[in-house]
Amino acid sequence: MECAFKDLHWGKEIAIRHYLQPRTAQETLDLLSEFDGRAAILAGGTDVIPLMRRGDLQAEALVDISRLPGMNSIEVDGDWVCLGGLVTQKQVCSSPVIRQKAALLAEAAAVMGSPQIRNVATVAGNLVSGQPAADAALSLLALNAGVTILSRSGTREVLLTDFFLGTGQTRLDFRREILTRIRFPALQKDQGGCYLRLSPRKALALPILAVAVVVTAQPEKRTIQEAAVALGPVAPVPFRALKAEAGLRGAPLSKESLEQAAQDAMDESHPRSSLLRGSEEYRKEMVKVLVRRGLSRALARAGLPLMEEA
Amino acid sequence: MKDLQLTFHLNGREVSVQIPPHLQLVDLIRDVLNLKGTKIGCREGECGVCTVLVNGVPVNSCIFPAMKAAGQSVTTIEGVSAGDGPLDPIQQAFIEEGAIQCGFCTPAMALTAKALLDENPDPDESQIRQSLSGVLCRCTGYSKIVRAVQKASLSRRSSG
Amino acid sequence: MERKEEKREKVLVREPITFPQIASLEAISDLSVVGRPVSRTDARLKASGKLAFGGDYPQEGFLHGKILRSPYPHALIKSIRIDKARELPGVIAVLTAGDVPGRNGFGVVIPDQPVICGDKVRFVGDAVALVAAETEAIAQKALSLIEVDYDPLPGVFDPREALKPGASPIHEKGNLLASHKLVKGDVEKGFSEADVILERTYKVPFVEHGYLEPDMTMAIPHADGSVLIQGPMQAPFTLRRNVAAVLGMPINSVRARSVSMGGGFGGKEDSPIDIGCRAAVLAVHTKRPVCLSLEREEVTLQTAKRHPHIMEVKVGAKKDGRIVAFQGTIYNEKGAYASLGPLVNIHSAIMMPGPYEIPHCRVNAYLGYTNHPFGGAMRGFGAPQVCFAHESMMDELALELKMNPLEIRRINAFRLGSKTATGQILKESMGLREAIEACAAAFDWDRRYREAGYGDPERSRRRGVGMALGFYRTSIGTGFDGCGANVYVHEDGSVLLYTGITELGQGSFTVLPQICAEELGVEVEDIRLVAPDTDLVPESGPTVGSRSTTLMGNAILLAARQVKESLLETASEMLFIPVERLEAKKRRLYDRENPGRFVSFKDAAARCMGMGRRLIGQGWWAPPPLGVNSETLQGDPYFVYAYSAQMAEVIVDMQTGEVEVTEHVAAFDIGKAINPQAVEGQIEGGVAMGLGYALMEEVVLKDGYIQNLNFQDFLIPTVLDVPKVKPIILEMKTQYGPYGAKGMGEMPNIPAAPAIINAIAHACGGRVRTLPASPERVYWAMKERAERQRAK
Repeated sequence: MECAFKDLHWGKEIAIRHYLQPRTAQETLDLLSEFDGRAAILAGGTDVIPLMRRGDLQAEALVDISRLPGMNSIEVDGDWVCLGGLVTQKQVCSSPVIRQKAALLAEAAAVMGSPQIRNVATVAGNLVSGQPAADAALSLLALNAGVTILSRSGTREVLLTDFFLGTGQTRLDFRREILTRIRFPALQKDQGGCYLRLSPRKALALPILAVAVVVTAQPEKRTIQEAAVALGPVAPVPFRALKAEAGLRGAPLSKESLEQAAQDAMDESHPRSSLLRGSEEYRKEMVKVLVRRGLSRALARAGLPLMEEA
Repeated sequence: MKDLQLTFHLNGREVSVQIPPHLQLVDLIRDVLNLKGTKIGCREGECGVCTVLVNGVPVNSCIFPAMKAAGQSVTTIEGVSAGDGPLDPIQQAFIEEGAIQCGFCTPAMALTAKALLDENPDPDESQIRQSLSGVLCRCTGYSKIVRAVQKASLSRRSSG
Repeated sequence: MERKEEKREKVLVREPITFPQIASLEAISDLSVVGRPVSRTDARLKASGKLAFGGDYPQEGFLHGKILRSPYPHALIKSIRIDKARELPGVIAVLTAGDVPGRNGFGVVIPDQPVICGDKVRFVGDAVALVAAETEAIAQKALSLIEVDYDPLPGVFDPREALKPGASPIHEKGNLLASHKLVKGDVEKGFSEADVILERTYKVPFVEHGYLEPDMTMAIPHADGSVLIQGPMQAPFTLRRNVAAVLGMPINSVRARSVSMGGGFGGKEDSPIDIGCRAAVLAVHTKRPVCLSLEREEVTLQTAKRHPHIMEVKVGAKKDGRIVAFQGTIYNEKGAYASLGPLVNIHSAIMMPGPYEIPHCRVNAYLGYTNHPFGGAMRGFGAPQVCFAHESMMDELALELKMNPLEIRRINAFRLGSKTATGQILKESMGLREAIEACAAAFDWDRRYREAGYGDPERSRRRGVGMALGFYRTSIGTGFDGCGANVYVHEDGSVLLYTGITELGQGSFTVLPQICAEELGVEVEDIRLVAPDTDLVPESGPTVGSRSTTLMGNAILLAARQVKESLLETASEMLFIPVERLEAKKRRLYDRENPGRFVSFKDAAARCMGMGRRLIGQGWWAPPPLGVNSETLQGDPYFVYAYSAQMAEVIVDMQTGEVEVTEHVAAFDIGKAINPQAVEGQIEGGVAMGLGYALMEEVVLKDGYIQNLNFQDFLIPTVLDVPKVKPIILEMKTQYGPYGAKGMGEMPNIPAAPAIINAIAHACGGRVRTLPASPERVYWAMKERAERQRAK
């Protein structure tokens, strides 16, 4: 069994010949077109630069979009919350708007990486990385978020449930397209969310397992109207536990409903055994634990705590 | 490969240099500008010893393209105090509290502490630890570093 | 101290030869410099970023060296073609095995590691060629152009498999590099008398030192044929003798200069020799200075780690908790090359039974080569591994006997006069019991032990407490453990201190001047320490084994005393007072009976100079000669020990297995704290390292290839993982150390891990016997316990 040259011999530098800093979206698209797939977009760079150094991403040019106007704010538009494509993880975790209207997203942003990373890394970048356990991605998936993609042929909206194609692969071609906006419905009264992460240490760690939950309760009937349960890494992409969600629709507000949902989520999850992050059996057991806990806490936040929480 | 023109503020002064496009901020600082206080530990944004402040905010300069600094304000440990004159209260506190052992993480810890105290002059211990969580230290076990930041917070507030 | 490769007659040395006391142990109460938390002499430079580490040195004019590494864990090298690489513009040299001018081998104990592999490779990362080029990028490109044909061999990845007949031999002499046996009394007799016998197996993995400063070196050839190797290094003298042999030069033609390190922890004892020899070969070949630096991933690939141990322990005890028999078998995984392995093996065997009075002991320790990266010296040198085993076993025994873990240790722990597992009688400086009691009091053990249990209304998190004891030698106990120091006093009262002990962050550059200042009667700032440079300082041995303060401290005392003779004689003449009445303190030489009568240190020095009196002091100190029987390891292996008791409280998430350490108290008897603040720092940092060993650190290997090369996946504790550690310092002075000081650099990280593992077991019932206790391991341990209870 032989190891690759690049895994044994490490360099200092990334190999690019051009570093471009366009000032408008049009300029960006023109540059990307000119390079015809040989350039890649960079926003914060916290994913792209290490990937390039490792030789896992090749590009002749980097197109730094951090100067594009109108993409770095968090806005409320009626019942919708909009994040510009350059909004950082730090902005999200310290935003009063997000803490109020989608607290689980702030929680997810607050536990990824480190303060240094969060100051620079964008939420959009977290989506585009296409990693199955990307914290912001899981939260946004549970929030039923959608993204706006800008390309030379115009803009299109894609729901996150449709966005992830495979590990490291999404519907956005980062060599030709820009993610300009993320949008999701703000949590209303009777809705609650929760983000839980099982990590091997308390900072600067990739998760063993992470779960994002959004529940909508029906307090008068004491039932769960709807739930979104996103988890990873239990599949090549950020995963919605559809079977668990189906079971929760209209389910009575009880420990048994949560146990069943946790079991369903476990049954439909297929985490790999990873030498670094944990065995398949353990991760499946943890799906059960975190989904049950996540649902319980989300319900509490929706104003409907169960009698016994576990 | 053509060199690019980069103009930015470094430790309060305007700097203009020609650099290759692939250069990361840490290599600009260390190799082009010859300021060695910023260290390199891992080159993948995991250890934090390369921390510098960009517009007052800590970033990992090892994975921060130098060109991104264009028009921005960068602070390195030399900008806090290069030691020719008096040291900053933060550096002083690190010395007094015994928070420096091998010293390799010290510039990063001190800069991170500065960013914290500039934003929040009276942080509690949990906030201090959260803010330092992006810099690894293998020598100290962190206790004295936390105490140094607490001491620095006190001396900054009392000196007005 | 015996080494495996030397067969000697039985040497039985029971009593250490009486040795003149270094420090008067009585009148230490009015010390003016020693015992003070003096600020580190290099703190200001480090705080301002001005202190130049190796990588901060200017590299203009240097060639950049890089290493071509083997992609196979075990293979024959059939052929190697370097012409394409050599022709690349900017490449100055491409070297293969035949280009090594002298001995193609280096190593601290046995030079079994090729500078450049010629016939075979033994681990993924083994060096197959060296390149020197004008830039690093060119060197990197050149590596990719070298073509090597390998003939893969079966890889051996388990130290027990490696020792079986028919296992693929990694070195010519086979896979058993060393074996050591400790025999005290008669274990079979002991087991026959035991009321309870437990057998368990404990395992610990490879871990990385994780020093934040990656390795690098500079090799600079001089016109006179000599070569300077400079950079981070803990062992300049060992490096020098290796480079000299590799270059085929006499030792006096090689100069090794240590630059202050960004952490070492034992790793920079031999990694600088590795890259130093390689850079030296490139430098001599190209006749140009060469800089060879490793990226973080290459540090993990190439440099030494802590030896994994598989430890089979069998313990027999009486109902009342007295241990009567201890049997241990250690499968010590060497990895591909010897490094410090043979010495670690002896040490593990000696330390295996722990700090307990056990009448019958037997330990067998087998050091087996594998096709894995190799073990070297890492803080504790075998002790962290075996301490995990014996302290876990103590708690398992306590559980079996339904005893409090503190109680069972009180019954068995060493006291003054105890006989160790090697039959050594501990005659002095024994503070283990005091450490236990101080720790228990500060930790409030009884209350916390009682109050363990669920901490949250949902009953998902449980609190528990655990403790562990440890002991650790001062210095390495080998034959060549001596060291020298020079002290030069100048006519203006300023002092130069020459010592080959290096600064890795432990504070030697402050503590050693403190000792010098105290003895001379000056202040620390009057002393400039000359960087450890083998051309300038006397042979000092390596900065390892917790030896620096004690051994070099003694050498410095002797050197300072020699110079002080002149100063006292001169002062006596100047004051008309007999020498015996003179005291030196705070830059004055004064009449003890009438302190108002004094001369300044400066004036006395100037007078000495003017009279041609010697102002050069030279000191040499080696520990009392000791030895152990090579067949039984009975005897006195080391001359003094430090002792520690540690207690930890954890909270375990009963559903996920996550562990949070909430309290940690660590008490030490270290003889004398020369600089209490520095000692605290070592304690706090060492405990953090032990916490990492307990909970998260592991070099993960698959088919011989490391899966976690960088800090993203090799996890060390962050500030959020480590609680506030409460250090307790006790001082049971040793007659062998300066002001009574024993070594303590390694001690703190030894009992820390088992204290935490024991706390986890107490909290959740799950006993983790393989480190690290990741959430998953704790989870399965809890499950295993639940099944055992169901089965009952």
